[in-house]
Amino acid sequence: MKAKRWIYRIAAILILVGIGAVMFVIGRGHTVYFDNKKMDYNGTTLEPPRKVEVYVDGERVAKLSPKDRGMATNIGQHFEMTLEITKNKGDEPVTQEVSLELPFNMDGIIVNLPGLLADIPYEDYISEFVQTDPEPTEEDEEVVTDEFAMDAEF
Amino acid sequence: MKKENKVLKFLGNNSVPIMFVIICAFCIPVSGFSIPYLLNEIFTRMGRNVFLIMALLIPIMAGMGLNFGMTLGAMAAEIALILVADWQIWGIPGLILAMIVSIPFSIALGTLCGKILNRAKGREMITSYIISFFINGVYQLVVLYMMGPIIPIKHTSIKLPRGYGIRNTVSLLSMRQALDNLLAVRIGGVKIPVLTFLIIALLCLFIVWFRKTKLGQDMRAVGQDMEVARAAGIDVDRTRILSIVISTVLAGFGMVIYLQNMGNIATYSSHSQIGMFAIAALLVGGASVDRASIGNVFLGVILFHTMFIVAPEAGAKITGDSMIGEYFRVFVSYAVITVALVMYETKKRKAKSAVGQQLEAEQREEESK
Amino acid sequence: MSKEIDKNNTFGARLKSGLDSFGLPRLIIACFLLLLFAAAPFVGCDLATQITNTVNRFSWNAVLVLAMVPMIHSGCGLNFGLPLGIISGLLGATLSIEFGFTGGMSFVMAIVIATPFALILGAGYGWLLNKIKGGEMMIATYVGFSAVSFMCMMWLLLPYKHPTMVWGLSGKGLRTTISLEGYYDKVLANFLQINIGKLSIPTGTLLFFALLAFAMWAFLHTKVGTAMTAVGSNPTFAKAAGINVDKIRLLSVVMSTWLAAIGILVYEQGFGFIQLYMAPFYMALPAVSAILIGGASVNKASIANVIIGTFLFQGIVTMTPTVMNNAIHMDMSEVIRIIVSNGMILYALTRKTEGAK
Repeated sequence: MKAKRWIYRIAAILILVGIGAVMFVIGRGHTVYFDNKKMDYNGTTLEPPRKVEVYVDGERVAKLSPKDRGMATNIGQHFEMTLEITKNKGDEPVTQEVSLELPFNMDGIIVNLPGLLADIPYEDYISEFVQTDPEPTEEDEEVVTDEFAMDAEF
Repeated sequence: MKKENKVLKFLGNNSVPIMFVIICAFCIPVSGFSIPYLLNEIFTRMGRNVFLIMALLIPIMAGMGLNFGMTLGAMAAEIALILVADWQIWGIPGLILAMIVSIPFSIALGTLCGKILNRAKGREMITSYIISFFINGVYQLVVLYMMGPIIPIKHTSIKLPRGYGIRNTVSLLSMRQALDNLLAVRIGGVKIPVLTFLIIALLCLFIVWFRKTKLGQDMRAVGQDMEVARAAGIDVDRTRILSIVISTVLAGFGMVIYLQNMGNIATYSSHSQIGMFAIAALLVGGASVDRASIGNVFLGVILFHTMFIVAPEAGAKITGDSMIGEYFRVFVSYAVITVALVMYETKKRKAKSAVGQQLEAEQREEESK
Repeated sequence: MSKEIDKNNTFGARLKSGLDSFGLPRLIIACFLLLLFAAAPFVGCDLATQITNTVNRFSWNAVLVLAMVPMIHSGCGLNFGLPLGIISGLLGATLSIEFGFTGGMSFVMAIVIATPFALILGAGYGWLLNKIKGGEMMIATYVGFSAVSFMCMMWLLLPYKHPTMVWGLSGKGLRTTISLEGYYDKVLANFLQINIGKLSIPTGTLLFFALLAFAMWAFLHTKVGTAMTAVGSNPTFAKAAGINVDKIRLLSVVMSTWLAAIGILVYEQGFGFIQLYMAPFYMALPAVSAILIGGASVNKASIANVIIGTFLFQGIVTMTPTVMNNAIHMDMSEVIRIIVSNGMILYALTRKTEGAK
């Protein structure tokens, strides 16, 4: 009887840990930044297209001229977007589906669009977005351990 | 004559909810809020709070009174959510992970609370109330000093600039209303968070089912009379600890639901008044210290929150000062708890003296024979 | 029989019983405070200033802690309803200023005006507590909270007019803090104050407390006082002995409430400000834990408990921030205060030896 109880318990713990692990992976949130900037690659310069519109889940998240940056958030490591590229002014826009695998351990990921479109290796057009502190000399925030919380919402 | 008695009895038994209906009926027109706005607010608040309030039901069943220690579960949930926010797990997976991470903390704190309460039988409520303060100190120790150097926290948006400790508010923007918005239905401008309600419905089913299990029956027996339960072979202390543990874990889940709706954690104050408001809401719904049902929870949420929404506005309209209404709703919360506690204690005393009188009468009869 | 006496006389047993009566937590707290005092000079704190601060805070708070004694004696438990008395004191303080009294007279008048409020509120509170014997502490807590939040509305609504007290802009509603400069700021403390270098002793406040404490001690040795102790330790026996239990309990609650009213006035004269609105909310907890740290239990308390407890508690409250800040540049005093004071209350509530109250 007691052994049975322990088996149930351990099974329950394992299931919870398992679900937790799955959530940990599939729920990892990333912010993807798209840079429409020219890029030097192996001596050649990849020129940005005249205009790029980025659609994620059918919604336009960015409309980029050269030197612009757009962003989208994504949960999980699989990221899909649709690009509508106008190479030169007056051209018909070309639609291109892109799907990317995002690195797990990066919060923010910069995708260089000219690099992506030129089909250069993955590592070369992806880089990590490192958040710089807005104010490094920020004053110490005073901690308020308010015990009353009169205006508490509920 | 008899019918009149029945009416009086009904009024007496439900005096608190009736009083609240009157307060609300008076305040709603004065506040000038539109009905759709009110409905929208009430549905939001129902989704936000019902789970938390239901966490109180099981200790009441076990005769341990109003569990002021539910704050412990809230603190466990906050620690879990801070961690999950730092790990950057978003959306519904983040919420599920937070619930799972809160479980070990809740179980540990709940066991501690239950053990202490077993040493303070007969004054559980004041003890659990003080426990919530005590653990709040421990919580501050963990969150303010240990998070950073001992428990790794990576993101500067969460950590204080001094390098250790958590900021006053932690944003949950990435999880904000993830639960409420999925499957949400809008009817005439009123948003109904269907998924949240489904989860609440599941909890209701769980509680109904739990009452019928062996453990549930044991708890009711312990709640009725500890001595009798012990004589019947029930491990009273263990049953009581379990009831607190379950309550704490549920409170932790409830707090995750609550905070995803709010969209941010007020690190040092979100939990502090949660217990008080949840208890007040339950009592407004007509529950007492020793008897509470699911119906009380829903009625309580609706009445209490209607008062909560309209009181500041109504107070401002009447007296010209918005603070009056805010103080008023806090006063009402405390007054309701006070009245409920007084009613419970007088009832208990009356029952006791009735038993005493009966014993005395029997004794006299015995002697006269 | 003789064997048992022998057993009690062995050193170890005596030490153990001594420890038991002193209590482990109390010992830890006392050692902690000693450690703080010992460490203070090494981390660059001025000991004289520290002692001055501790004595000062002791003098502010001692009367509030003394207010715990009557209710513990009569078996009403720890007076978590202290805010009720504090509110009477606040009413006295604000009304005294409103009526135009200044200087030392405003303190005397504050006491005079606070007294009827304390008597009436205390009587009502005592009547309520007699109806719910056995559940005093929880209900006391909530009576205190209800009273504080009710008075929050009243401070805004009552027709106070005195310009030092009301909000300047709207001309109505009392401020959250009112400065007592020109009123009774330090009236007691400055009386016969002793200054030796950096050390200064607020003799007047200490004397005032001594007077009240002596009166309390004397009262507890009168016939009514002993009856009160009897009611607390064994209500059935007291009832059999012909004591009117309810009346004695009511008296103890009124005394507690009145002392709380005086206590907050003494606190204000030392602190220099009247604090209104939510300020009295959690004032019961430090007083409760202070008397428990001093060695009281849920149904036993003496004047010595009050003095030792207030000194230990206030010592820790004043010493930890400075010593800690100087030693490790981390101010954990707030957290330590919360854990120590509530831990002490928990310890007292869970002691098995005390009858269920």
